[in-house]
Amino acid sequence: MPTASITLRDVGRTFGATQALADVGLDLKPGITGLLGPNGAGKTTLLRLLATALPPTRGRLSVLGLDPEVPAERTGIRRQLGYLPQEIGFPRGFTAFAFVDYIALLKEWTQPAARHAEVRRVLGLVGLADLGSKRIRAMSGGQRRRVALAQALLGSPAVLILDEPTTGVDPEQRVTLRAVLAELARTSVVVLSTHQTEDVAALCERVIVLDRGRVRYDGPVTDLVRQAAGRVWLADEPDPEASVSWRTGTGRYRNVGPRVRNGAEHVEPSLEDAYLLLRGGSPDHEPREEVAS
Amino acid sequence: MDSRPGDETLLLAVAERDMGAFRTLYERHAGWLAIRLARRCNDRDLVADAIQDTFVAVWQKPQGFRGDGDIGAWLWGIAIRRLVSRLRTRSRVAAVFENTEAAPAAEDQVLLSVEYGDIGQALARLSPEMRAVIQAVVLDGLSAKEAAQLLDVPVSTVKTRLHRAKGRLRAVLAEGPS
Amino acid sequence: MTGWHLDDDILRRYVERTDSLAEGASVEQHLLSCEPCRARVSTAAVGVIDFAAVWDRTRDAVEVPRPSVFERLLRAAGLPAHEARLVAVASAFRSAWLVGVITILAFAALAAGIGQARGMWLFLAVAPVVPCLVVASSYDPWLDPALEPELVTPYPALRLILLRTIAVLAIALPAVVLFGLVVPGRAPFAFLLPAVGFVAVVLAASTWVSPLRAAVVVSVVWLAVIWQLATRSGPPGEVLQAWAQAGFTVLAVASFVIFLVRRRRLRQVRPWR
Repeated sequence: MPTASITLRDVGRTFGATQALADVGLDLKPGITGLLGPNGAGKTTLLRLLATALPPTRGRLSVLGLDPEVPAERTGIRRQLGYLPQEIGFPRGFTAFAFVDYIALLKEWTQPAARHAEVRRVLGLVGLADLGSKRIRAMSGGQRRRVALAQALLGSPAVLILDEPTTGVDPEQRVTLRAVLAELARTSVVVLSTHQTEDVAALCERVIVLDRGRVRYDGPVTDLVRQAAGRVWLADEPDPEASVSWRTGTGRYRNVGPRVRNGAEHVEPSLEDAYLLLRGGSPDHEPREEVAS
Repeated sequence: MDSRPGDETLLLAVAERDMGAFRTLYERHAGWLAIRLARRCNDRDLVADAIQDTFVAVWQKPQGFRGDGDIGAWLWGIAIRRLVSRLRTRSRVAAVFENTEAAPAAEDQVLLSVEYGDIGQALARLSPEMRAVIQAVVLDGLSAKEAAQLLDVPVSTVKTRLHRAKGRLRAVLAEGPS
Repeated sequence: MTGWHLDDDILRRYVERTDSLAEGASVEQHLLSCEPCRARVSTAAVGVIDFAAVWDRTRDAVEVPRPSVFERLLRAAGLPAHEARLVAVASAFRSAWLVGVITILAFAALAAGIGQARGMWLFLAVAPVVPCLVVASSYDPWLDPALEPELVTPYPALRLILLRTIAVLAIALPAVVLFGLVVPGRAPFAFLLPAVGFVAVVLAASTWVSPLRAAVVVSVVWLAVIWQLATRSGPPGEVLQAWAQAGFTVLAVASFVIFLVRRRRLRQVRPWR
């Protein structure tokens, strides 16, 4: 069984005059990869591309060794693909079970007994095993998100694309989510997008930072964090030398800046620090960019 | 009572479509309901179907139990009527099972008299058909029509036997203890 | 509540059915209000029936969605069970929609039946657009909002749309004809070609805009056309002359060809919310 993988080469995507993605080159292997970036960075577009929901306008894509431009191969990819879009509008009157069952039908689970068992299995994975008969419209936002996640998990797909899976999910559920994804990620390529660096820190081994349609960083989470080593310090006032400063809960100011600051009260960098550093400033040997607010 | 959820709590959860609560209700009640049904009908498949129908009915209308009285009575009312329903659609006759009445041991006879007084003995002296009617109509609370379906006899027969059974009981009781 | 409870002997006699009617009745009366004794009876009930199997059937009965009328009809028509379900789940088959549509048609037919030319015009305005409206509702993302996950499933989207369209037409077209019988004059079948033509137009247009939008536009345009003709010329039958029928045929064929050519673009239309 060949290892699951996704490859992108010089991928770009435009919508009319807007360039949503440009020069994206990636090699994704089994494991959990986080996609970080501000709104409008192109995260959703990239995920749609990976999920074969959208073709690129430039470059080539290869998912599980198959070419999404070829209809027969695209269907082959979709047989092993699970996708959680940013928003799902659920049809009126559906129960969780009925909805996941419907998607299972579209995923070619033709035998009722096997299909029902699989529906129950994925509902169980997201902690909704006992609520299968509840109407989706009567559920909380977090529960609906879990139903949406459940349909993506049908068939334990080799490629799992999740757009903001942690929205509305409480910390306990995030722990469960991590366990479910980690299990799948042993053999599957899992890509998830989020605004929250805590999610990436909690869930992912690898992170891709997108900004204005381009890849700014692609590598292990630990390496990204290491980039901020010695570049994070606490002070009683916001430091003008810093790229970013903010007031913490203790009343002191946390500062992040590209220049290594001597004599300052350094602290261990978090992923958030490294992310802000990446966006608001740059490492020593590159020209300094504008200071972010 | 221990920390397990009460039946009413479970019913409220079932109204919210909680499958776990529904399963607990099933595990708690399916057993005694099945035994009780099996004492009226020796066709186990019919009993199984009636149990299924009972719990489906509970799922569909958990608010039918208004908290007045015990849940056991409510569940039994549903179960016996579902059994009758199933019998109606069954073409083949499912004989009503009769208690194999071994002659009560001496101490049991004393027990019967002490516990139940003369009624117990009076009932024991009725014919099996009359006892079946008494059980269906008086004890299970079925209508004459439902009892007829359960016992697979015409409604008129049910009424006649009930009438005769009551008469016999009165006569036996009037005789006094033997 | 007395302190009397089932002892082992009474329990055994009850379960083995060797008790008397009186004792059994007394036990059963007691059980109705005593939970611990019920629990003891339930424990002794192992083997009376296959409780696990009955539970599975019960759970399926309440959890698994029941096939609707349309789903059963489709299965009867020869579609495999899973496909019948896929097709039948479309919005067009939600009872509310169909009831509404049938009502409109019935009203229109009634108007045509009792009124004179006016009623005819009303029927002429309504009948040909009803099928395209219902077809649009069967796959429009606004009404059938699960669009995005559906987009990336292996089941061919085109097949689903076509199956749903055919299923809708199998109901809507006979309905149009049936109600058309009430209308004096023109043969009911004359309404069919315009109806089919509009369906084809909507299918083709849905490769550019959302299907429901296309259907609404088609309906409005047709209403405007009918309105113009009604206020101007005399007999309504004119619209359905041979040349008009030919025109509708060309429209239908051309639209369908466009639809097939552009079918890839079908599902890339952004959901219109």
